[in-house]
Amino acid sequence: MIRLADVSKRFNGKRPVVALDRITLAIDRGEMVSIVGPSGSGKSTLLNLIGGLDSATAGEVVIDGRKLSGLSDDGLTRVRRDKIGFIFQFFNLLPTLSCLENVSLPLHLRGWPKRKARARAGELLDLVQLGARVDHLPDELSGGERQRVAIARALSIYPPILLADEPTGNLDTATGDGILTLIRDLHARLGATMLIVTHDMTVATSCPRTIVLRDGRLVEDRRR
Amino acid sequence: MMLLGLISWPYVRRHLVRSLLTTLGIVLGVAVFVGMHSANEAVLYAFHRTVDRIAGATHLQVSAGEAGFDEEVLERVQSLPEVRVAVPVIEAAVDTGLKGQGSLLVLAVDLTGDRSLRDYDLESGDEELIDDPLVFLAQPDSLMVTPEFAERNGLDINSRMPMWTMEGEKQFTIRAVMRSGGLASAFGGNLAIMDVYAAQKVFGRGRKFDRIDVAVTEGVTVERARVAIQRLLGPGFQVGPPSSRGQEFESLVSVYSITANISSAFALFIGMFIIYNSFAIAVTQRRSEIGILRALGATRGQVRTLFLVESGIAGFVGSLVGAMGGILLARGVAGFIAGLLQGVYGIAQRADEVATEPRLIAFAIGMGMATSVLAAWLPARNAARVDPVQALQKGKYQVLSAGENRIRRRAAALLGAGSVLCLLFGRSGWAFYGGYALTVVASLLLAPSLALWLAEALRPALKWIRPVEGALAADSLIQAPRRTSGTVAALMLSLAQVIGLAGIARGSYGSIVDWLATALNPDLFITTSQNLATRTFHFPESMGPELRKIPGIADVQMVRSARVTFRGGPVMVVSVEIAGIAKRARRRPVEGNERDMYRLAAAGEGVIVSDNLAELHQLHVGDVLEIAAPTGLLRLPVVGVVLDWSDQLGTVLMDRSVFTRHWRDDLVDIFRVYLAPGASAPDVKSRILERFAGSRRLFVLTNRDVRDYILRLTNQWLGLTYVQIAVAVLVALLGIVNTLTVSIIDRRRELGVLQAVGALRHQVRHTIWMEAIAVGTVGLVLGLALGSVNLYYVLQVAARDLSGMRVAYGFPVTLALWLVPIMLGASFVSALVRTRRVGGAWLARRGARIRVG
Repeated sequence: MIRLADVSKRFNGKRPVVALDRITLAIDRGEMVSIVGPSGSGKSTLLNLIGGLDSATAGEVVIDGRKLSGLSDDGLTRVRRDKIGFIFQFFNLLPTLSCLENVSLPLHLRGWPKRKARARAGELLDLVQLGARVDHLPDELSGGERQRVAIARALSIYPPILLADEPTGNLDTATGDGILTLIRDLHARLGATMLIVTHDMTVATSCPRTIVLRDGRLVEDRRR
Repeated sequence: MMLLGLISWPYVRRHLVRSLLTTLGIVLGVAVFVGMHSANEAVLYAFHRTVDRIAGATHLQVSAGEAGFDEEVLERVQSLPEVRVAVPVIEAAVDTGLKGQGSLLVLAVDLTGDRSLRDYDLESGDEELIDDPLVFLAQPDSLMVTPEFAERNGLDINSRMPMWTMEGEKQFTIRAVMRSGGLASAFGGNLAIMDVYAAQKVFGRGRKFDRIDVAVTEGVTVERARVAIQRLLGPGFQVGPPSSRGQEFESLVSVYSITANISSAFALFIGMFIIYNSFAIAVTQRRSEIGILRALGATRGQVRTLFLVESGIAGFVGSLVGAMGGILLARGVAGFIAGLLQGVYGIAQRADEVATEPRLIAFAIGMGMATSVLAAWLPARNAARVDPVQALQKGKYQVLSAGENRIRRRAAALLGAGSVLCLLFGRSGWAFYGGYALTVVASLLLAPSLALWLAEALRPALKWIRPVEGALAADSLIQAPRRTSGTVAALMLSLAQVIGLAGIARGSYGSIVDWLATALNPDLFITTSQNLATRTFHFPESMGPELRKIPGIADVQMVRSARVTFRGGPVMVVSVEIAGIAKRARRRPVEGNERDMYRLAAAGEGVIVSDNLAELHQLHVGDVLEIAAPTGLLRLPVVGVVLDWSDQLGTVLMDRSVFTRHWRDDLVDIFRVYLAPGASAPDVKSRILERFAGSRRLFVLTNRDVRDYILRLTNQWLGLTYVQIAVAVLVALLGIVNTLTVSIIDRRRELGVLQAVGALRHQVRHTIWMEAIAVGTVGLVLGLALGSVNLYYVLQVAARDLSGMRVAYGFPVTLALWLVPIMLGASFVSALVRTRRVGGAWLARRGARIRVG
């Protein structure tokens, strides 16, 4: 499902930084993988490369049989739009949109008709147990609820890959546990490939596979 | 559409004031465009309609410029077999002396033959007048008026009404009232018919007519008749259909029309900046929103389209409101334009109807939308290029890379070299305007680098004033050149425009004042109207000797002016006694030898031309001018070129003897009076008025009256320029406010960090104040620099294609000095307004979202 071959990412500034150094990795369909490592180890960069938000300096990233290197920006966007759902640490919900509108936004970007998009968004909000809050604005929700809306939005197109960047990093332990339970439950029910970047070892150990990065290098690939 | 509703509409609602301001730019531009054009069209339409209604069944009109021609020409035209009817006409716009009625157009005709050309359908009155025109002829005080005019003034048959004549105010009798419509609707209904021979006396025309209206013989084509009449009368006469008068009028007011077009374009240009600024801010504010959209699968095209559609809608709404505002504006402006045209060109007009031309409205809306979309193009492109990774990392900003800056500098150098080549070797208009455009584009490309260098140069000074805050302020500019460069470019262009406009206004004003001091130096001017440009009435030459006898008068010079056709366009011929002018108002020529110029012109062996005529027609000393006169083609060499502001389309100065001989016209429009030493101007003025009381309509103006009148007219003309300057300064200020807004939004994280590490609120404020002043300084320096170049081009444009007036280059130093406190003060004030929010609740509110570290 996800294959990385000798992938490097270098940032050219006044002092060039090697964020990822020759990473080779394969993740099968339906796997749930956590990525851990200290700050600056390249976890988020790896997630951005897999999500098509950024391009590798060297090596090859293949998503569902499609090589990302050499794709135009629009090509990368299409891969992102069709195959990937993102869950962010800071939720990244649009504050002026209701929960329903936030969840239906990716569907509108794909040109879905309004009624169909709203129906799907409603279903997903029910799935994350927020069926009663469809018309609420993000500011009217708790942190955990906002992350649930963000998860519903990530699932809106039923993507084969879900990428989560510190999904519990901005939440208290109890709320974080709730979100983790939800993610595990959804993974079990929907069968999507799931990559979770985290500092939280509870989150990491709850995944059947953990990849450890240090200074841009893959230092450990542990399966349970 | 869904995205517009979900993404754009909430933003508009949240930033309603800014959204309105954005739209205001377009409203302003379109309103000025529609207003100016509609008013202009209304004045032109009124003129065309008056010409059309008055023409009746006339096929051809024969004229010889403003000066008119002898009666005997009529008989010659009538003798042609191609001519069925030829009737004489005198046309004059006069003051009635009736309150609030303005000018009355008097159409003086010979009723014996005129009825076959025009339909005098009477509503009331003695039908005998029409059936037997001799009755009308026998009573020279007879007037026939329109029912609208009669009703407005409570006039009836046999009512008496006052009218200004050559012999002062006289009473006239209403003998008939026409039926509504047709001829009666010309000149907004302010029309009176009188006998042409009575008019010769009333208006001091001597034994001359203004024109002959002709109907061609049945079976003869109009063109054949035209050729026959032209061949008979020679090139000194203009023979053409009545519609050609409209074309003459249009070319006469062409300078005004171009000025109006430039004003509209400038207003839209300003609007473009406002939109650019607003969208640039919107892109910055919505960067994280754009990042989310991109992460969720929005393509660059979708993001770009979103912003462009937003700008298109803003443009449409703004254009619609602007068009409505323009229509309202036009109603007010039409009267102003008509007044201005009367003051400058001496043509009375009544533009009562301002029509809403659907094509003009559609064009204006299209133009407004296109301007809006064009202005939003760069911000929309930048929005599409937002890197989602950076946008989602709070506090990050995309910096302009060194490579990008290098490419811009190289392109600027290339374009700059191109503009210099155009300037040095280009002769055509394309090369000139191409060079101008290249200069502006090169400056825009260079703006980011220049802003960066200036910011670096300012850093030590700012650091010296406040070590920490100053360094932070300068570094903010240095590290985010893209954020600053947009505003610096906008500031630079606005200020360059201010300098260009102020420079030309100051130069023109100075040049006019110089010209007034040297050319218009008589102590008194005796004219037939208070308006120096109107030439409805004339004085007989015999008045000159009578004036010379009045005690206190040392010298009298007679001036006769008439607009004639030269190379297909109207120019002003001014005839004076050149020897007298050489003695009293000697001017140094801009081309030619001063002594030879006056000697040859006084001997009738040459003409002196104004510098604007020379510039517009590429004339030089030695070139032979061919001017159509009633006696034939007058060929005289140019013996000198002088600076002269008498007429926007150019002046030919010739000796009075030449004019009298070739135009068979010894009338006088203005007497220039020089007082004897020790004589008092008010005393002599009283003596003149006393001497001619009751026998002549005249106005005695002092030198100061004339100077005040001309300077008032100049100020009226330059009024548009002053408004443009004010708007450009406002845009510059708006640019600073916008930059600060963007800067604060961008640096939310940095400012949060500053406070977190112990910076006091006032220290944060000082950082922003210093940054504002630095942006103002950079924009000011670049604006003044580009302004000095822009002024050169603006002066060239005016000389080449507008009025031909060569105004000496003079940098408006006073205005530039004023701009320093204005711009820096405004920068500071806008920073104060902005930092009030930073220091108070705003930062506290945002503080929770600022990640420190």
